Amino acid sequence: MRRSPTLASVWQHFFRREREERELDEEIASAVEILAEEKVAAGMTPEVARREAVIELGGPEQVKEAVRDVRPGRMLEQAWQDLRYAARGLTKSSTFTAVAVLTLALGIGANNAIFSVLDAVLIRPLPYANPDRLAMIWSEFRSAGQKRVPSAGPQLTELQRRTRLFQDVAGVWVGRGALTGQGEPEQVRVGWVTANFLPTLGVPARAGRLFARSDEGRGSSPAVIISDGLWRRRFGADPSIVGRLLRLDGQAHTIVGVMPSGFEVVFPADASVPSDIDVWSPFRDDLSQRPRDLGFLRLIGRLRPGVALDQAQAELDAISAGLRTSFSEYATPDLRMEVASLHRDSVREARPILLALFGGVAMVTLIACANVANLLLARATRREREISLRAALGASRGRIARQLLTESLLLAGLGGLLGIGVGWAGVRLLLGLRPASLGRIQSAGLSINVLAFTFALTALVGALAGLVPVLAMSRRNLLRGFQDRARSGAPGRSRAQNALVLAEVALGFVLLVGSGLMVRTFVRLLHADPGFEAAGVLTFQVGAPPRAEDDVSVQRFFRALQVKIERLPGVTAVGAVSHLPLGDYPNWYEYYWKDGAPAAERNKILADHRAVLPGFFRSAGIALLSGRDFTDDDDTGHPNVIVVDETLARREWPGESPLGKRLTATFIHSGSFDPTVAEVIGVVRHARYHALTADGRVQIYVPYHQSARENLAFVVRVDGEPLSLARPVREIVASLDPDVAISKMRPFSAYVDAARQATRFTTAVAAVLAVTALLLAFVGIYGVVSCSVAARTAEIGVRMALGGRPRRILWLIVGQTLRLTSAGLAAGAAVSLVLTGLLAKLLYGVGPRDPISLVAAALILASAGVLAAVLPARRAMSVDPMIALRHEA
Amino acid sequence: MSEAERKSDLLQGTLDLLILKALAAEPMHGLGVSRRIAQVTRGTFEVKPGSLFPALQRLEQEGWLSSSWGRSESNRRAKYYALTRAGRRQLASETRQWNRIAAAIGLVLST
Repeated sequence: MRRSPTLASVWQHFFRREREERELDEEIASAVEILAEEKVAAGMTPEVARREAVIELGGPEQVKEAVRDVRPGRMLEQAWQDLRYAARGLTKSSTFTAVAVLTLALGIGANNAIFSVLDAVLIRPLPYANPDRLAMIWSEFRSAGQKRVPSAGPQLTELQRRTRLFQDVAGVWVGRGALTGQGEPEQVRVGWVTANFLPTLGVPARAGRLFARSDEGRGSSPAVIISDGLWRRRFGADPSIVGRLLRLDGQAHTIVGVMPSGFEVVFPADASVPSDIDVWSPFRDDLSQRPRDLGFLRLIGRLRPGVALDQAQAELDAISAGLRTSFSEYATPDLRMEVASLHRDSVREARPILLALFGGVAMVTLIACANVANLLLARATRREREISLRAALGASRGRIARQLLTESLLLAGLGGLLGIGVGWAGVRLLLGLRPASLGRIQSAGLSINVLAFTFALTALVGALAGLVPVLAMSRRNLLRGFQDRARSGAPGRSRAQNALVLAEVALGFVLLVGSGLMVRTFVRLLHADPGFEAAGVLTFQVGAPPRAEDDVSVQRFFRALQVKIERLPGVTAVGAVSHLPLGDYPNWYEYYWKDGAPAAERNKILADHRAVLPGFFRSAGIALLSGRDFTDDDDTGHPNVIVVDETLARREWPGESPLGKRLTATFIHSGSFDPTVAEVIGVVRHARYHALTADGRVQIYVPYHQSARENLAFVVRVDGEPLSLARPVREIVASLDPDVAISKMRPFSAYVDAARQATRFTTAVAAVLAVTALLLAFVGIYGVVSCSVAARTAEIGVRMALGGRPRRILWLIVGQTLRLTSAGLAAGAAVSLVLTGLLAKLLYGVGPRDPISLVAAALILASAGVLAAVLPARRAMSVDPMIALRHEA
Repeated sequence: MSEAERKSDLLQGTLDLLILKALAAEPMHGLGVSRRIAQVTRGTFEVKPGSLFPALQRLEQEGWLSSSWGRSESNRRAKYYALTRAGRRQLASETRQWNRIAAAIGLVLST
C-alpha cells in the first residue's frame, strides 16, 4: 500500500489548486470592488468607477496570470495545459495531423532504420571482453609497396618476446579441412591459431575449455574446439561431446571445447579471416622455426589496460627496427608493423557506406521536417486571429511560442512512435538485402542506443519544425490578426515558405545526385570486365583424399576426377585452381625474380601464385594470349613450367615475347614452398581475383601436377544450368573416394554477385532515399503552390474574367515555381559539388562530379516542380470567375 | 520596456522589504499594503498590482506571510495578510542588511 499516500498527495494537489484559483478570483474581484467604491465615494458614477478600477489594477486577468506565474510547479502545469490544448487542436484538424504525422514517421523511421544498422556495425562494441583493447597488427613492406599483409611465424614469436605494451599477441590462419569418420564427409573452415588466440578475444567456451599452452607446439596431442553450429549440425548437440574424437584431414583430434552460439570472429574483409569458422585447431609446430619470409598469420593483440594505440605503434616501430637489423629477410623489403583498433579496422569498408547513407537519410529527415514546418506555418496563419485573441487575453509571446512548440513536439512525438514501427520495417528490408560486407548488420535492432537516438531525433525534429512558425510569428505584431483579414498571409510567411521549398529542392537535389552516382557505379560494375567469364560455370571446393600418402597420389586423384567430369553430358571444359577468383580462401603470393637476378633484386616484387589443372583457363574463360596451356604431361617428370599474366609479361619483358624466358617462382613440393626456376610457356589475360574494381598484383600460374596443394576449386563450364551437374559431380567424387569432402557447390556467378553486394546495397538504399526525398519535395512544392494559388483565386478570377489567356496565367504560376526551383537547384548543385567528393571511395567508373548525374537530377527535380505547380494552377483556372471573386468576400 | 516596468524591476529586491515592513504594524489586504507603502514613502514608491499580488503570493509561499479572509472598512470580504514569526525574523535580518548597505554606500558617497 505504498501507493496510496502518493495518490492522496496528487488529489490534495488538485484540490488545493482549485481552492487557490477560487481565492485568487475572489481576492482580485474584491480589490476591484474596493477601488470602485473609493471612486464612487469620490463622486464617480458606478459604471465609470468600475471601468477606472479595472484600468488602475492593470487588467484583472493579467494580474492573475502574474500571480499564477510565481506558484511552484507552474511550468509543469503550463506544459500539461499546452499539451492538452495541442492535443485538442490536432484532433480537430485530423487531415493536417495525419499528413504531418505520416511525413514525420517516414522521416524519423528512415533515420531510425539506418541508425539501427550504424549502431550494430559501427557503434556497438565488438562481442569480446574489453573489446576496446583489441588491435589488429599488420605487416607492411615499404620497398615492395605492400601494405596490410600477413606476418610470418618468427615475426609473431619475436613480437611476443619483445613487447611490453601488449598483454597478448595471437595469430590465426584460416584454411579448409575435411571432416570424415561418422556421417557424410564434410569440408569445413578451420581456424589454425596460436593457443592464446581465443583467450585473447576473451569469450569463454560454452562447454569444455579454450586452448592452453600445452595444446600447441611440438609434442602436443591434436586438439580442436568446435563451433556451436557444427556441434548442433554434426553431433546433434550431444552434451557429452567434450573429450570425444573428431577426424580432421584423416587425423583424430580430441574435442576439448565448444564455442557459444553467436560467437564469431570479426576481422577486416581483407584479412581472409571469414566469420564462419567451424573448427579451431592450434599450430602444432614451432612457429619460430617457420620461414621468416612466409607471411600467412593475421595478428591480433590485446593492449595492456591504459595503453593507447599510438604508444603501441611506437613500440611496434621500435620492434620492427630491431627485426630489420637482426634479419636480412626483413631488412631488404623494409618491414614495418602497423597497429589499428580491431573494431575500427573491421569496419573500414562498411564505414564510408554507412556514413554516406546516414548523411542521405539525415537529408530526407530534414526535408520531412521542412514539409511539416510548412504545414505548421500555413496552420499558424489560419489561426492568426485565435493567436491574437490569446495575446490580448494576457498570454505572453513566450507563452504562445511555447504553445506552438508543444504542438509541433506532440506531432513529432506521434511521428516518432510511428517512426519506430517504420524503422523496424526498414531494418527488415535492409537485412533482406543481406550485405555481407556489413558484418554485424544481423544484430541490428531496437537497442538502447537506437531508442535514445530516436528520442533525441524526435525532439530535434519537433523543435526544428515548430521553430519556423514561431520565428515567423514573433516578427509580426501579434495583434495584427484583428486588424487585417488578409487570407494571403503575411509576406514574412511566404518568405519563410519559399526558403523552406528552396531548402527542400536543394537537399533533394543532393540526394538525387548521390543516388545517381551510385546507380551509375552499379551499372559500371555490372559491365566491369573481370578478365574471366563466370556465366554458365559450376564451381566447388574439394579437398585431397585424407589417405593420400604423397603429392603424386593426390595429383592422380584430381586427374581422375577431372577426366570423369569431362565425360558428363553438357560439360564443355573442366579445370581447377587453388584460389578461385573472388573466393575467400587466403591469398597466395610470393616474391619472384628473373632468372639470374642478383640477390639484392630478389625479394622485391610479389606476384599472386595459383596452382591450376590443365584446362582451367578455358573453363574459367581466361583468354590465352600467346603460347600454350599446361598439359597432363607438365608433371614432376618434366621441366618446370609456368604461365604468366599479361601485366607481368609487360612489366618484365616490354616489347618482347616472354615465351621461353625463365623466372624463379614458388612451387610447392610436399607442403614445402620452394623457389624454383621455371620456363614461361604461355601468357593469359589478367583476371581480377580480389575485387571486381581493382586489378591487384601480377599473376603466376604453376601446374598443379608440379606443385600440389591440399585443396582445389573445380571450375566446370556447362552447356545449360550449372547446378544441374551438382548431383552427378557428388556421385563421381563419392565413387572415387567416399572420404573426400566437397563444399561450396555453387555457380561461379554467385561469387560475382557477392562481390557486387556492397554496391548493390548502397545503391538500393540510396535510390529509396532519393525517391522518398523526391516525393516529399514534390508534396512540399505542391503544398506551397496550392496555398499561394488559393490566396490568389480572386486575382486569377479577375484576370480570367477580363479575358486573360489561360496559357499566360498558367505560365505566371509555373514560372514563379520554376524560379524558386532553379534557386534550389543552384544551391543544391553547390552543396553536392562539395559533398559528393565524400562518396569517391564508393564510386567506380564515374567521377564524383559526373555531369550526367548532375543534369539528370536537375531535370527530374525541375519536372517534379513544374508538375507540382501545374496541378493546382489548372484547378484554380477551372473555377468560375464569379465564384472566384466571391471567394474574397 | 516602459519606464514604469523598469522602475519596478529596480525595486524587485527592496519590494519584499517594503511589504514586510508595511505589514509589521498590522494585518492588511493587498491594496492596503500598496496604499501604506505609497503613503509612508510619500509617493516615491508606487507598487502596481501586477507586481504586488505576485509578491504577496511569493512571500506567503516563503512562509513569511499568512493570509485569512476578513472584512474591509466598507464591510467587503477581502484577503488579509499578516506577518508570521518567520516573517518578523526575515524583516529584522533584511533591515539589518539594508542598514549595513545604506551605511556603506553613504560612506562611499561622502568621500
